[in-house]
Amino acid sequence: MSSESAAYQILVVDDEIQIRRLLRLTLEEAGYVVREAETGLAGQNEILRRSPDAVILDLGLPDQPGIEVLRQLRKWNTVPVLILSVFGQEKSKVAGLDAGADDYLIKPFGENELLARLRALLRRIKPAVAVNLFRFGRIEVDIARRMVSKDGQLLKLTSMEYSLLQLFITHRGKVLTHRHILRELWGPKAQERTHYLRTYMLRLRHKLEDDLNEPKYFQTESGIGYRFICEHAGSG
Amino acid sequence: MIGACKRSTKTNEAVLSGGGWQDRPVEREHRLIVRKILPGSAFWKAKERSVVFEFSEVVVAVGFVTCAGRFLPLTYHAFGPIYLLMVVMLSLRVGRWPVMAAALLSAIAWNFVFMPPRMSFSVLDVDDALMLGTYFTAALIGGLLTTRIHEQEKDERQRERRATALFHLTRELAAVRTLDETARTALREADDLFQARTALLLLSSDGQLKPHPLSSLKLRESDLEVARSTLHHARPNGRFMDDRSTADYTYLPMVRAEQVLGVFVLSLPADIARLTPVQRDLIHGFGAQIAMLVEREQLCAARESEKLLAESERLHRTLLDCVSHELKTPLAVLRAAGEKIDTPDADRRANLTEEIRQATQRLDHLVANLLNQTRLESGRLKPELDWCEVQDVLGAARRAVGRELAGRPITIDIAADMPLFMADAVLLEQVVSNVLLNAALHTPAGTAITLSAGRDRLTERVFISISDQGSGIAAGVLPLLFQKFFRGASRPAGGLGLGLSIVRGFTLAQGGEVVVSRSKAGGACFTIYLPHLDHSRVPDDEL
Repeated sequence: MSSESAAYQILVVDDEIQIRRLLRLTLEEAGYVVREAETGLAGQNEILRRSPDAVILDLGLPDQPGIEVLRQLRKWNTVPVLILSVFGQEKSKVAGLDAGADDYLIKPFGENELLARLRALLRRIKPAVAVNLFRFGRIEVDIARRMVSKDGQLLKLTSMEYSLLQLFITHRGKVLTHRHILRELWGPKAQERTHYLRTYMLRLRHKLEDDLNEPKYFQTESGIGYRFICEHAGSG
Repeated sequence: MIGACKRSTKTNEAVLSGGGWQDRPVEREHRLIVRKILPGSAFWKAKERSVVFEFSEVVVAVGFVTCAGRFLPLTYHAFGPIYLLMVVMLSLRVGRWPVMAAALLSAIAWNFVFMPPRMSFSVLDVDDALMLGTYFTAALIGGLLTTRIHEQEKDERQRERRATALFHLTRELAAVRTLDETARTALREADDLFQARTALLLLSSDGQLKPHPLSSLKLRESDLEVARSTLHHARPNGRFMDDRSTADYTYLPMVRAEQVLGVFVLSLPADIARLTPVQRDLIHGFGAQIAMLVEREQLCAARESEKLLAESERLHRTLLDCVSHELKTPLAVLRAAGEKIDTPDADRRANLTEEIRQATQRLDHLVANLLNQTRLESGRLKPELDWCEVQDVLGAARRAVGRELAGRPITIDIAADMPLFMADAVLLEQVVSNVLLNAALHTPAGTAITLSAGRDRLTERVFISISDQGSGIAAGVLPLLFQKFFRGASRPAGGLGLGLSIVRGFTLAQGGEVVVSRSKAGGACFTIYLPHLDHSRVPDDEL
């Protein structure tokens, strides 16, 4: 893992020195180079000067709300951003994600969770590899031919179900907000029609999950959206 | 806590809005009777007619009877009783001086016009002189007596009117339970009775006079200045109250126990020249009544806030005791484990790491529950209702309490026709996970927990139920179960007793209901009911 992430530079924007120290410890151990900023303004300056590969942004900064920093940042930069928020801020998390953040993490967080999220974010900037076959669990997706099979048996997916699956594969490991998925699949007018999404997620899980009561791949992020988790993604 | 001190004002609303008459027929009848006794303008009809007017009435009456008498074929003796009848009738309408004038005038007219010699004041014989003298005395006494009785009766009627008005106000206000309601009712009553616009200025805590927003009279800065001086001197001021005043309105200070609570301002109709003593009394009486009620409500509010304070102090103590214990235990573990973590023994290190993990999880849970309870109590909890899918919710809740549920067989039973439903996914997940955690902590390890969901066709609701195989909930505990800081006796240790309080609060906030019953296996069964709504059709697509 360390060889893979050796070159990556992570900027931590948080006013709590303990959190910064902890993140530095965790990230440096995992082989990342860590930069720190205490305020939103300092953070933006750091991004401008160092152009880090990913940013970990706290929502509660002393000089300006993290979401404001994000909005300003998105006007000129597309660096992946991971939001750090405290418990009970579902609304601001969704707002952050809709404002252009790529994922979020709730304080207090676990080390493994943080590193997994970061890997998913950095995957986006990895040189694109043409993937033809995508595997998770007993499922195999043939991207070129738009075909899905389970244990070698062909599964019948509607085109909408397939588009949903494809969206998840593209953003694997990352959270997708309800609005984002609805906009991608049904267009901007359908952004609020969450019952479409609930219905299709149920159908997709029904076809692809092993145990509906304990979905392994398509996980629910309450009040925010869904996350596609696949640890053993293979390509061929 | 807040709910306990809020008293119902519904009955008053019904009376005031007029739309709710049907609710209270007795009230309606009573009000109509009062209205009959006291039509809106009755107050001002009681004004006294001028003496000049009464004198002219007397002159006209005497003149009329005299002229008419000339055309009647009667002897002059007959006019004595006719004049007497006239004087007595006049005395029912006019005051005592005009009545005396009537007696005198009629005696003169009788003598001059009818008694022989006609058109002369000379009296011919002793009989006539005696008759005239007797008549005059009788007319005078009869007239004066009738006047007195009539005046007494008039006074009586005015007193009764005043008493009725005050009684009416008191009755209307007796049921009122807030300062705003008091002000509203008093002002409307005053508007009706005096045909006036009124304003209620109350002394705020910072010493400012603030017009009550329900006042029908809007005051200018100059009026407020007069009101302030009224307040300062604690004496009635303005029109009708102070002859030197040029103010347009009448100002009454509301004084209770040497303390001025505010000023009651009336804009009385412009065409009234002066107030009778009775009217003045009634206005004062009204002012005093309002002052009393304002005082009552202010005292009541003060008492309520004291009660609230005492209650919140009690809660604070409980909170402090609980929180300090609950916070300090995991902190103590963290500190001890932190000091020993550099031990070279790998097994011990693993044990300490597990201790740290458990302590942080306990702290995490504690903070989450405290925050949730605070959100509930601050009244800022606004559920974000959205379409939810039950497997999502159950799955998320199970993951949240995953570790505590380890080793328990969990059965999930979802009805085939379970629809999507409206709820706040995050809140509902907390509700379910809190109930699950509760079940996990209060039932023997390894016993099964059943989660089921479906549609309750009778009440058109959806339900999620969580039942365990523990010993169930004792009947005596049921009323306390959802109270905050209540902790069951069987609970081994720890916990703030907030879990179920949050369960109920969050469920209610989403328009749902929690019901506790006995499960088939004899354990506890918590059922969360939520409204069932139909969503628009989901578009189909091709294979």
